[in-house]
Amino acid sequence: SSTNRSGIPPPLPSALATARHIQDLGQVSYPEGVASPRPDLNMNARDGKFRYDRDFLLQFMKVCVEKPDNLPNLEAIGLEPVDQNAMTRGGSGR
Amino acid sequence: QEVDMESQAQGIRTVFSNPKDFNVKHPLYSAWTLWFDSPSTKGRNLPQTPMTAVPPTPVPQTPGAAAAAQGWMEDIKQVITFDSVEEFWGLYNNIVPPSQLPQRANYYLFKEGIIPAWEDEANKNGGKWSIQLPREKNRGNVDKWWLNTMLDAIGEQFDPHFEEPAPHSLVTGVIVSTRPQFYRISVWTRLAPGSDDTEKLRERTEVIGKHFKMKVLGFAEAQKLAGPLATEVEFISHKDSEKKGKGGKKIVI
Repeated sequence: SSTNRSGIPPPLPSALATARHIQDLGQVSYPEGVASPRPDLNMNARDGKFRYDRDFLLQFMKVCVEKPDNLPNLEAIGLEPVDQNAMTRGGSGR
Repeated sequence: QEVDMESQAQGIRTVFSNPKDFNVKHPLYSAWTLWFDSPSTKGRNLPQTPMTAVPPTPVPQTPGAAAAAQGWMEDIKQVITFDSVEEFWGLYNNIVPPSQLPQRANYYLFKEGIIPAWEDEANKNGGKWSIQLPREKNRGNVDKWWLNTMLDAIGEQFDPHFEEPAPHSLVTGVIVSTRPQFYRISVWTRLAPGSDDTEKLRERTEVIGKHFKMKVLGFAEAQKLAGPLATEVEFISHKDSEKKGKGGKKIVI
């Protein structure tokens, strides 16, 4: 949806939104200390569709922290964290 | 900061070399859609207006799969669709982990185009591996289990034979459910071993179950898990689930 609740023009699309898909993993090298995806998983890879081992994926956890532009307002769909402290203090609330 | 010369020469900047200004991302084998429901999503629609704030009038149930799925899907909200590793983590780092969800909530992470319902074409002949474990003892484990489940789904690690015969995995989606007394995590498959099929599908299905039990949840192969509020890692076809208590046969590993 392109509607903007506040009426402020939306910011420019993020790198996350505009970066292009890697077509050939062999073209990509990683900085020292970052492991490549396990090559055996993608020996027959076609059409830029790749499989990834968990250790490779976990390396992105601390790096990709920016909220995606297309993530909706979570409260609007009822997706809010419960306050664990309030629950233990207040019991069932009845 | 060390950046590889070859990538730099080709103008390829991954998120590791430049977290703010990267220009390539790692495509997933499939695009995935995250869905969510909880008691507080009931009757919610977007955008919320006075008209839609009241619970919708129940639609008369007509026979047929589509109508059944529609009823089931009514309160399940689509959160986002993503097709790259980088977008997955952007989502993960900005959403509520299962341990912080309300007591009756579900996340459904399914391949794009497959709705998280038995009635979907991709699910109707399938089934699910699932495990249920008591909430109190596992609040500290559920987030890690769910993360591992998602990573091995989007990375296509569950089904090593996923290119045979069709170029897709048996896995269609994964679900985490929070309940007042327990957590449940499920892995849904496209097919379910029946009486008339080959041993091959059964073996392939069991590989997924073992991967789930050992690699994702971290249990030993022979470990017994059933107990109060807990089940083993077990598989049941959706057709048998529908029979409700009519003794569908389960595969337990």
